[in-house]
Amino acid sequence: MNRGRGTGWLLALILAWLVVYPIALVVIDSVKDDSGWTTQYLTAFLSDSHEWGALWNSVWLSVASVALAGTIGIPLAFVFERLEFPGRRILGALVALPAVLPPLVGVIAFLFLYGETGFVGRVVGAVMGTSQAPWRLRGWGAILLVHAYSMYVYFYLFTRAGLAKVDSSMIEAAHSLGHSARSTLFKVTLPLLRPQIGAAALLTFMTALGSFSAPYIFGGGFRVMTTQIVTSKLNGDIHASVVETAALAAVAFVGLVLFRRYQGTRSVAAVGKGTPPTARTLVQPLARWSATALGWTFAVVLLLPHATLLLVSLIPVGTWTTELFPTEYTLGNYLALAAEPERLRPLVNSVWMAAIGTLGALALALWAGRLVVQKRVTLRKHIETLTSLPWAVPGTVLAIALATTFSVRAPWVGRWVLVGTLAILPLAYMIRNVPIVAGSVLAGFRQLDPALDEAAASLGASRWRTVLRVTVPLLRPALLAGGALAFATALGDFVTSVVLYTFDTRPISIEILSALRDFDIGIAAAYGVVLMLISAAAMVVGTRR
Amino acid sequence: MRGIRTVLVATAAMACSDGREPLVIYSPHGRGLLTLAERTFEAQHPDVDVRWLDMGSQDVLDRVKSERANPQSDVWFGGPSYLFDQAASESLLVAYRPTWADSIPTRAWGAGDFYFAVYETPAVIAYNSDALTPDQVPDDWDLVLEPRWRDQILIRDPNASGTMRTIFGMVIQRGLRATGDTAAGYEWLRRLDGQTRDYAINPAMLHQKLLRREGVLTLWELPDILTEQRKGNPFDFVLPTSGTPVIEDAIAIVRGAKRPRLARAFVEWVGSIEFQIMVAQQEFRLPARLDVPFDSLPDWAQKVRTEMVAEPMDWGLLSREGAAWMSYWDRNIRGRGGTGAQR
Repeated sequence: MNRGRGTGWLLALILAWLVVYPIALVVIDSVKDDSGWTTQYLTAFLSDSHEWGALWNSVWLSVASVALAGTIGIPLAFVFERLEFPGRRILGALVALPAVLPPLVGVIAFLFLYGETGFVGRVVGAVMGTSQAPWRLRGWGAILLVHAYSMYVYFYLFTRAGLAKVDSSMIEAAHSLGHSARSTLFKVTLPLLRPQIGAAALLTFMTALGSFSAPYIFGGGFRVMTTQIVTSKLNGDIHASVVETAALAAVAFVGLVLFRRYQGTRSVAAVGKGTPPTARTLVQPLARWSATALGWTFAVVLLLPHATLLLVSLIPVGTWTTELFPTEYTLGNYLALAAEPERLRPLVNSVWMAAIGTLGALALALWAGRLVVQKRVTLRKHIETLTSLPWAVPGTVLAIALATTFSVRAPWVGRWVLVGTLAILPLAYMIRNVPIVAGSVLAGFRQLDPALDEAAASLGASRWRTVLRVTVPLLRPALLAGGALAFATALGDFVTSVVLYTFDTRPISIEILSALRDFDIGIAAAYGVVLMLISAAAMVVGTRR
Repeated sequence: MRGIRTVLVATAAMACSDGREPLVIYSPHGRGLLTLAERTFEAQHPDVDVRWLDMGSQDVLDRVKSERANPQSDVWFGGPSYLFDQAASESLLVAYRPTWADSIPTRAWGAGDFYFAVYETPAVIAYNSDALTPDQVPDDWDLVLEPRWRDQILIRDPNASGTMRTIFGMVIQRGLRATGDTAAGYEWLRRLDGQTRDYAINPAMLHQKLLRREGVLTLWELPDILTEQRKGNPFDFVLPTSGTPVIEDAIAIVRGAKRPRLARAFVEWVGSIEFQIMVAQQEFRLPARLDVPFDSLPDWAQKVRTEMVAEPMDWGLLSREGAAWMSYWDRNIRGRGGTGAQR
């Protein structure tokens, strides 16, 4: 017991050092300037109606994103986990792809597709007899659309991982006690999935709160906190941007606490003993066909941006402008990637840095899960809060915080010079991805039966042997789901990388940015497609049962 | 696990330098110009490995700031002089007066010898030349406010763009000169907002929207338009007749540079007549040096030098007040010009 308490403190300390400390260093700046402590910037913020409006927009938009993403993701997970129909396996992996729409060029794909002169827009325009789409992709509606599109994946993946562990005997028991399918769903299955759905909701809320690209690109005049921060920063008003950052972090923290309350920390230990129900094969032709058609339609709609990106990567510069379809195709963009070693280098960089970051996050999550759920150490609530905290600040802020913290050599206060070294980006990826991995892994731990662990111990297995031979194999779905998502996120990361990369560690997203700065949309799209393929491979592994 | 190990070994092998001394350049100038600088400089210094990182000029400033304790770069190559001014005032640069300093106009000298301009970048009115003929295009700033351009103008998000800040700054300064107050300039910008179809998040999006004719006119800088023209894109430009702001595009050595000797050699090379001509011919940058023989300049540069009317700009005022003007614009004008963008 003593041992558990000691390691609990150690883990809490490590997490605090990596997450809280850098952010605290930045937040302290909000009440400090060259002349010492001051509240003038805080007062200026609090008395500004623009700022309050932006804060309120951030909050309601995030809540709406959670609702919308859940509405799409949870039913979808049930369909793919419980029904057997032609194409289920491949489609099941494909619908997880929105998580891997690459940064920067993904937006270009949206423009080519749904923009007023985009493909869909022109088709609709042609049908209605106008030259352009009768809409503009703008405002809070557009932001919500993009959020729902990219964030339902959290619900989808986590719910599937949870469903794979639900014991069929409990469902059968409910049936035999006279419950209808509907009441079994609401009274048995969904409550059993509470850890997963809670984790997905938290991730979605935090991601939406910190989302910058969607509001910036599609928001028009619609203000949220993240765009306010950047606007202030661009205007050289560093103090205002620091206060805005602190405000956003405060909202995120409150959100975190509220979610924790709702979710509770009870483990649902009855789960995971028996076998999950096998997917029901639909025998009735009509049901079979409609499920197949529905699955494929959904997949096609979700994959349209990816297909557009592929198309853009195959067309020569400047040829697809006012035509409905491109008129020429070329492999030139891919040949350019393969021909120049320095264009290939970022691919290698991104893969190894994302791999290290993900492995580190997995190790931390496993450790946290063991201490929080299995050992139930005194600090468990704090450890769990710490693992979600990196989401409480936008990626840019975390990156700046890390850059500030680790650009000074002061070992006695835990600061070393890591900026400019190979270590800083993998470290940043790890910290950024701890919430994703921990969300999935902790939920997985809660479904584990402690009896199995005890059984292993009583049979004489050492601690490590128990972890490696019992815990990890049982957690496989959760580890894979979290790990794949984290790997894909790190691989495509832009906001953190742009602050911390060096010549030796420049990742794919920076090359995409560089190509876009040269207006080389084809090259950028080709990078994007390669990025998608690697991430998709990771997601296929992550959703494999 | 083996896969990861292989990747690690491969990366370690690639990260090993080939024994040449690295010189790190931060620059917004893009792949074309930077590759040219890399190749030519390495040809003269075979023991040097020029490593450039391409990023926006505001990003260069942010990075140099955050790397203050542990500088990663040697030279900052490119960006409007007001950004260099900020860097100099925060002690992020090293003073160095290159031998070619006397050949550029004194307005292009940075105070305290911290930076010097190598190129001049005029702002222009640019258009889609498939959609408009040259005689249809407004050839001065005020003419873009005519009703027929309503909803036809695309603007790069001015908060994030040095070029747009300069153009907006010019408008305010003109108002100040005429009336002594900023209100006149704001009123002009309000009318421009009413004409604006959309604000583009980055130059690539601006370029796509112009190409796809979501709008047919934009206010932008000359070199980008000429580069796109060479690629075969239907872009062209006019020089505003009443005068246009000319951005002084500078170069400087970063304080704490690890290779100061090489950094100085690089600055010398970039400002040499030979490289100024090369860049004018291949990358559409107008030399800042006045002693570059006129005949050796390409046709476009001769034409621009002859026809361009430089707007008298108070750069110090822009540097001091620009942020406040943009903040006012962002809160009170953007999307409120009546019709246009954010209806």
